[in-house]
Amino acid sequence: MSTTTPPADFSDTELSAWLDGELEPERRATLDAALREQPELAARARLWVADREALRARLDPVLGEPLPPRLLQTVWHHRARPPWARAAMAAGLLVAGALAGAGSMWQWQDQRVSSALATAQNASAGTPAGWVQRAALAHSVYVPEPRHPIEVKAQEEHLARWLTRRIDIPVKLFDLRQEGFELMGGRLLPDATGKSAQLMYESVDAGQPKKRVTVYLRKPDAAAPTAFSYRQQGELGQFYWVEAGAGYALVGALPKERLLALAQAIYKQQPAAVAASAAAR
Amino acid sequence: MSAPPAFRQQLLASIPRLRRYARSLVFDTHAADDLVQNALERALGHWRQFDPRRDIVLWLLSIAHNAHLDALRRDRRIDVLPPERVTEALDAQQPMGGDTGLRMDLSAALERLTLDQRSALVLVLVEQLSYAEAAEVLQVPAGTVMSRVSRARVVMRAWLDGSPNASGAGPRPAARPDLRRVV
Repeated sequence: MSTTTPPADFSDTELSAWLDGELEPERRATLDAALREQPELAARARLWVADREALRARLDPVLGEPLPPRLLQTVWHHRARPPWARAAMAAGLLVAGALAGAGSMWQWQDQRVSSALATAQNASAGTPAGWVQRAALAHSVYVPEPRHPIEVKAQEEHLARWLTRRIDIPVKLFDLRQEGFELMGGRLLPDATGKSAQLMYESVDAGQPKKRVTVYLRKPDAAAPTAFSYRQQGELGQFYWVEAGAGYALVGALPKERLLALAQAIYKQQPAAVAASAAAR
Repeated sequence: MSAPPAFRQQLLASIPRLRRYARSLVFDTHAADDLVQNALERALGHWRQFDPRRDIVLWLLSIAHNAHLDALRRDRRIDVLPPERVTEALDAQQPMGGDTGLRMDLSAALERLTLDQRSALVLVLVEQLSYAEAAEVLQVPAGTVMSRVSRARVVMRAWLDGSPNASGAGPRPAARPDLRRVV
């Protein structure tokens, strides 16, 4: 019953590394045991976890903010200039030339920027464009993540329960395997007017590069239109709709038909549709 | 030659995370966006130096961090708020629910940290980088990241423990020695 080793002594650095998943395996096992036996050590770990959550809650809302137009301008309009051009620009000589020389690609980019700007301006909380834009942003942020694309894995049973409780609408883990997509898991996201959830799916086509799509769920604002809609931003397609008190946005860099098939599969499985078809029987 | 559209698209997707990191370096929203803009311009000017096999977010975080250090060196008034204004600035930057007292205390605690501690803490806890990745961003050894994160946790927690609930002004204890070690 008593261990053969003396009570283990751990430095702040080791406990901190343990929380970050960076402690070497043999030391980790010792610390796991110590945490069970030493309430004070466990209490300290819990406080640090709470601090981590508070820090994330403090900074994560930045991810959901509409992008400032000037940053979009910088990304699309920045051009490399040779030194002589920089000097001329400083003297105001190049403006006419720059205007005349803008090629068709740049006009196309301009359109993209103006549509992005329009979106950013509409992205105030409450408008459907606002939350759909945030769905697209959340997609762009987490889909490329190699290490932490999701917060809770699909295999964990509590995923649906946890998200349902946190965003206050029923969250169902849609089964998209018939469409060739497997659920990876989900995460909770801050949204301008509350919380939202993101489910991430990955394609399972053998031999094909993996594609990821996300389903964004949130409680819609009272005035949000409910129509099933589609829009395209760059390579990202987005289907979104509001049904029975829940807003859905499916986001992915897929051909529209393929994305539509996924949207339909989700639509059929959403809790309200299931209830309606059961009632009709 | 200018950066290709695919590269710009990647930059666009990285902006939210860059802004989140910048907001922990520079507390004022507009100054933080200035930093992001500066970082984006540097990235676009040196896009050929980016190795597409690498994670672009790490590359950009590193650029933003260096841009911040340069700005500090160049003109301290641009990015450094006096400590007594930080809580105020953080509070003004976004209306949020929750316990206002705790939120302001957290802001104050974050502000107590040195830039070295704060950047390591935010990269690991909020950006969820490994120690090796954070080390790459900060250009220090991974062991340094480990000790900075740990130190940052201790200082921040001590501040939260020692601070009164109301976010009044006035000096507070920086760290309590009894928190250094429990066992």
